[in-house]
Amino acid sequence: MNEIDAVVYSMGPSEFLGVNEPDKWCVDAVGGRDKPFMRIHTGGATGLSAAQAGFHHVAAGLFDAVLVVGADKVRECKDSQQVLNTIWDPLYERQFGLTTITMAAFQAVRHMHLYGTKEEQMALVAVRSWGNALNNPVAHLKGHITVDDVMMSPYYCWPVKKYDMCPSSAGGAAIVIVSGKKAMKLSTRPAWIRGCGEVANTVFLGDQMGGRAQMDFADSDVLAMAATAAYRQAGIRNPVKEIQVAELYAPFTVCELSMVEALGFCRKGESGRLNEEGFFNMNGEIAVNPSGGTLCANAIAITALARVCDGALQVMGKAPPKMQVKNVRNAVCTGEGGSFQFHAVMVLSADYY
Amino acid sequence: MNDGMTLRGGWNVEYNYAVGTTGKKFFDALIEKKIIAPKCSKCGLVMLPPRSFCERCFVPAEEWVEVGREGTIQAFTIVPVKFESLPEPPYAIAYVLLDGADTALVNFIRKVDLSDLGAAAKKLSIGKRVRVVFEKRRKGTINDFHYELIETGQARRQRSKK
Amino acid sequence: MSHRVAILGVGMTKIEGAKKDQKLDDMVFEASSKALADASVTREGIDSVVISGCDELDGRCISSMLLAMPAGAYLKDEIKVTDEGCYGVILAAMRLMTGLFDLSLVISWCKTSEAPVSDVMRMRWDPFYHRGFGMNHITSTALMAGVYKSQYGIPMDIPARVVVKNRKNGARNPNAHLQRPIKLSEVRSSPVVSWPLRALDCAPESDGACALVLASARKARELKRDPVWLAGFGWATDSYYLGGRDLSKLRSLGIAAGMAYGMARIKNPLKEIDIAEISDFSSYHELMVYEGLGFCRPGRAQDLIKEGLTDMEGVLPVNPSGGLLSSNPFTASGLFRVCEAYLQVKGNAENHQVQGVKRALAHGSSGFCAQGNAVFILSR
Repeated sequence: MNEIDAVVYSMGPSEFLGVNEPDKWCVDAVGGRDKPFMRIHTGGATGLSAAQAGFHHVAAGLFDAVLVVGADKVRECKDSQQVLNTIWDPLYERQFGLTTITMAAFQAVRHMHLYGTKEEQMALVAVRSWGNALNNPVAHLKGHITVDDVMMSPYYCWPVKKYDMCPSSAGGAAIVIVSGKKAMKLSTRPAWIRGCGEVANTVFLGDQMGGRAQMDFADSDVLAMAATAAYRQAGIRNPVKEIQVAELYAPFTVCELSMVEALGFCRKGESGRLNEEGFFNMNGEIAVNPSGGTLCANAIAITALARVCDGALQVMGKAPPKMQVKNVRNAVCTGEGGSFQFHAVMVLSADYY
Repeated sequence: MNDGMTLRGGWNVEYNYAVGTTGKKFFDALIEKKIIAPKCSKCGLVMLPPRSFCERCFVPAEEWVEVGREGTIQAFTIVPVKFESLPEPPYAIAYVLLDGADTALVNFIRKVDLSDLGAAAKKLSIGKRVRVVFEKRRKGTINDFHYELIETGQARRQRSKK
Repeated sequence: MSHRVAILGVGMTKIEGAKKDQKLDDMVFEASSKALADASVTREGIDSVVISGCDELDGRCISSMLLAMPAGAYLKDEIKVTDEGCYGVILAAMRLMTGLFDLSLVISWCKTSEAPVSDVMRMRWDPFYHRGFGMNHITSTALMAGVYKSQYGIPMDIPARVVVKNRKNGARNPNAHLQRPIKLSEVRSSPVVSWPLRALDCAPESDGACALVLASARKARELKRDPVWLAGFGWATDSYYLGGRDLSKLRSLGIAAGMAYGMARIKNPLKEIDIAEISDFSSYHELMVYEGLGFCRPGRAQDLIKEGLTDMEGVLPVNPSGGLLSSNPFTASGLFRVCEAYLQVKGNAENHQVQGVKRALAHGSSGFCAQGNAVFILSR
């Protein structure tokens, strides 16, 4: 801890824990006392935003080593969706029982409407994630499930079913970001932060459908903008060829289909079919969520930070044996927050440049 | 191990959300059975829910227009399960682009048989027309109205009238 | 600093007890629009938006969802830091220093009139060891004031004179919430709210929003501006557990100030700084801040007050704006301090302008007993 110059605390909504500003409570537990310390909170994107803030601490030239850390216990509240209803506007939206699940349902019906995506294609995302999670010792949910299992699971908000959704989890995560000079001394194979991007969209879902919408709620166009910025910094021109692993914050199956399209892995509307063809499998073109991703563990405050951890492990060749993808040069990690409105991207690379 | 000991606690924090001048104007109009929306003076975007500025042009939106009482479903869902403190299931909600508005507004869709989810979902598909139905007693809140489906024959009749 | 950061403009709403005519996003739009106008830039030019707020006071579990747009962040790079607004300046400055961004909007707000502040503060305590004892922001500040008072034997007139000074200054600031100057006797006779704090020793609760436009040196040159420079900044936190802290001093403030002074090459703050805008949650707290900032030795802040050194006419006027004792939009208060410091250096503070300000200090604080502190040095 003596070598850590500053701490960035990754903490999303505090209402699950039932302690306001829990970063202040946890200062001592993360060695923050007497050090520069700040909390980042961008909803579900928090962990990735926090990692970016940690990167900015170092890249500004102010610090040599920064700890980015957080923890969450979503299950300590009675019903996380009761809390998540309060992300919506109290004057115009809360009254209608809006939650994050209804939000996913709206995205799903639009993806189905625009591209003919089938419920079974979404289900397959869960099947792959649960299977991948079998190789991840820290995943919350894992197992061999089938498309039928997902299809037979109860509807929560049509067309979103139980197995289309992430769990409420408890867990912590941390990364250490150091300057290039220090990294050379400490490690022979660090994960280099090569590109960052983070873009905000309007909070209003209704602005993103029909009428004069500048982008459709079915698509994650804002993620595409953030990825474009990150890819440009990282010098990535052809993501399918140059990226081997994607660790995505996709809390619902439809999100992942929308996101792989936005990340430039395929064209809009193609993800369902490619997913069926194994394109995103462990041995496919791009391994998407080798860890099982958010569908298998969602301790909200650190879920996106866990994406960075898992991406870094892949690039460093230190992922658990069966979870490790071969010959990873670049990994892309994402975080998503709010009304699917905040998208953050980080590109990690085995190569310095 | 500690036998999973927990401590029970609550969170009863109450707020008084200021409605603001823009919100007040919108809610007052609801009492008069009108849905009005601010319009951006630069790009002309007609915005619901109402806001005092245009996010895209970043200028105040001071002009108001009345939008139609019918619109088109842009997204919907049906909720068959109970969540803590949220409405009693089952219920259907939809984002509807009201005629004359440029952004869709969420509300309940009532009077749809929700006993069979698959059948109900077919009835509520994107593109279906709905009408605004005002409550008898209006209090100046977003719950002063809801949506109801316009049956296909009915919609055609009404459109040909125009 | 290798890469310098410039401040091009600020925007502040009027600070009031309850801004009932404005929904939260209306208020935030007003502040960001004013800052952009003051800096003579448009939203299009902004490439980084850093917002700062406190969900629990906003009554929304991710309040940046609503407020990112009135902050001008539509389709922009945007990030949120909690909870004291001035942390937004730190993060925005670091982002500019990386060379990846050029023009940043920083914004914060607070509408205490909508939230049960005391209840929100109570919920900041952990449920196991602290929450049951009725401690909120006032009682914990009082706890600290009590320790400080008994450690150094502070006569009651000294904190009262801090209140009189700040309220007198606030009366000249048309933007302040409380604009009535008060007398020593009024402070002395106001009721005790939590010993040793009397009602007038404590900051009020207010509504307000403010924003700044920050630029890289490259951008400031390109725009041909005569900016105010962010010459230094520092921040640090202390332990959550009050039982393990020496409550007679602000340890993390000392660390933060050391970092900021190092960056700005300040050796003798009392001599080298022309004005200071500090976060005075109580009159006693202002005294403790003097010591934390190294204006005097521990326990000697009372001398500065006795000699009038921090009055408007003193060697180092503190809180020409009236400080928190005049206006306290809670978690936005520290960012308001940075805005006020900017006005002083720029010479735009009108009725509460101190003459010839070349270097100003701003201070923000958050958490129980000022757990976290941040210090900023602004200069010509």
